[in-house]
Amino acid sequence: MSQIRTFNDFLKRIAIVVGALVVILAVIFGILVFTVPQVKAFNNLLLASFSNPRLMLDFLDRHGVGFNSLLFRVVVFPGFTWAALIAAEVIWFERKFLAKMQVRVGPLYAGKIAGLLQPIADVIKLLFKEMISPARSDKLIYYSVPVLLMAIGSALLAIIPVSEAWLIMRSDVSVLAIFAVAGFGPLVVLLAGWASNSKYPFIGGLRGLHQLVAFEIPMLVSVLGIVLAAGTLDMVNVVQAQSSVWFVVLMPLGAIAFFCCMLAELERLPFDMPEAESEIVVGYMTEYSSMAFGNLQGLAAYIRFYAMAGIFTTLFLGGWHGPQILPAGFEIAQQVEWFTIKTLAVMVLVIILRGVAPRYRMDLLLRMGWARLLVLAFVNLFLVLLIIQMGWFPIKVGV
Amino acid sequence: MPELAFVALTVLAVTTAIFALESKEVVYGAISLAIMLLSMAGFFILLDAPFVAMFQVIVYVGAVAVLIIFTVMLVREEKWLKVESGMLQRIGVIGGLAVGVAFGLLMLNTTLGSVIASGEAASYAQIGIVMINDYGAALEVLALLLAASLIGALMLARVDGEE
Repeated sequence: MSQIRTFNDFLKRIAIVVGALVVILAVIFGILVFTVPQVKAFNNLLLASFSNPRLMLDFLDRHGVGFNSLLFRVVVFPGFTWAALIAAEVIWFERKFLAKMQVRVGPLYAGKIAGLLQPIADVIKLLFKEMISPARSDKLIYYSVPVLLMAIGSALLAIIPVSEAWLIMRSDVSVLAIFAVAGFGPLVVLLAGWASNSKYPFIGGLRGLHQLVAFEIPMLVSVLGIVLAAGTLDMVNVVQAQSSVWFVVLMPLGAIAFFCCMLAELERLPFDMPEAESEIVVGYMTEYSSMAFGNLQGLAAYIRFYAMAGIFTTLFLGGWHGPQILPAGFEIAQQVEWFTIKTLAVMVLVIILRGVAPRYRMDLLLRMGWARLLVLAFVNLFLVLLIIQMGWFPIKVGV
Repeated sequence: MPELAFVALTVLAVTTAIFALESKEVVYGAISLAIMLLSMAGFFILLDAPFVAMFQVIVYVGAVAVLIIFTVMLVREEKWLKVESGMLQRIGVIGGLAVGVAFGLLMLNTTLGSVIASGEAASYAQIGIVMINDYGAALEVLALLLAASLIGALMLARVDGEE
């Protein structure tokens, strides 16, 4: 085989490898068909399903892996694969968009059209790199941190209602679950900084701890207003309560406080002190390499980004509500479409902030979290109480 | 299925609790303490009390465990790690056994064994109504206590001559 020099060579090599795998698997399957009766039955079903796809779908549903199963929802649609795809393309969009804002070109070659496949090329590159850990690091904690961060992001996906009927989990206390899951953030960041046993990661870990703890409380208080107005802790009911007026109109102060806390929790500019590239070389991720770094900096971070943007959409921007544009009978598709559009809009807003805002200072940031945003959130809470008491807005108060 | 989950959670809680005490590396001890607190949340979910479980996670894993691990990382002195053997250890074992026996006797003499689960689990709304109506006074005292400790913390953390 020839050497890999360009991206096209690389694609050819990948195609050869995948093609060889397919041929080998086909041969194995062909042998099994004539020897194992279960495989023969499955093969007959496979052949029959070419003319009648319904058969295969029913077969999958019977075994708990079909379209209506929980597994499909968790793994494919509102769950992981969907979020990972959005994350990948948001990474591309962020790079291209920031480049345009700074009069650069940005990703260009991979994928022919405007570097559309750049994130996938990056991931493949990272997968082929060696995973290195510092000699005196704590290996167990060091290697579990990327997995834990991914788990935090993915767990948040479970409570986002993308539509009224098609969602992963419905719980009485899903608003609280946001904070329960997000509460693991400081722990994991601190452990990442500590386990690396290195200077910059530890500084980054400590910064992350202070920042994440400081902003969790104003976040909780800013959501209290919503819980009061909707009279529930269930995310689905929160969206249903916004059918006439979105909560961002009712409580703009709370929305601002929540948005700032969200930026800090996601470690996005202007609050990206824990990973400040130009000061402490991406902070607690400095020592990570290969896909562990790709996970921390890319996939897990952007899945968390998507999840938090989705939570903001659900809480303040009316979730799946929107004018009807699809014909009747496509309610779920329309709800998912409005939810996705709003979530992507929130993400674009955050990315624009990265392009225009300089980095904040650590002590100012902590003062902002404890002394400004907390006060803002409490003012919002009292305003909501006043509105509910006076009955100025037709809010359905539950219980 | 619930029985299996209960056994798994119990084994997890007891092992991590023992490990938290016996671990040579203090940071591992602190982490296993966090896992122990997390498995407590699992018990609350088994008891049909997701509201309590969520607060267990928010307060104990999100705040208390983080504080403990943070402190342990800052104070990594060898002299804290040595286990004092001798008199103190004997007193500790005897005291622990005494407390355990006392609790066991108490349990035997209460009506805990005869409590039967009565259908529906209480929702958080019912908990809130009971808290505001029946225990309103206690809630206010608790709020005052929290406010006092907050003000105390602010006083302790204040740096003179700032700005």
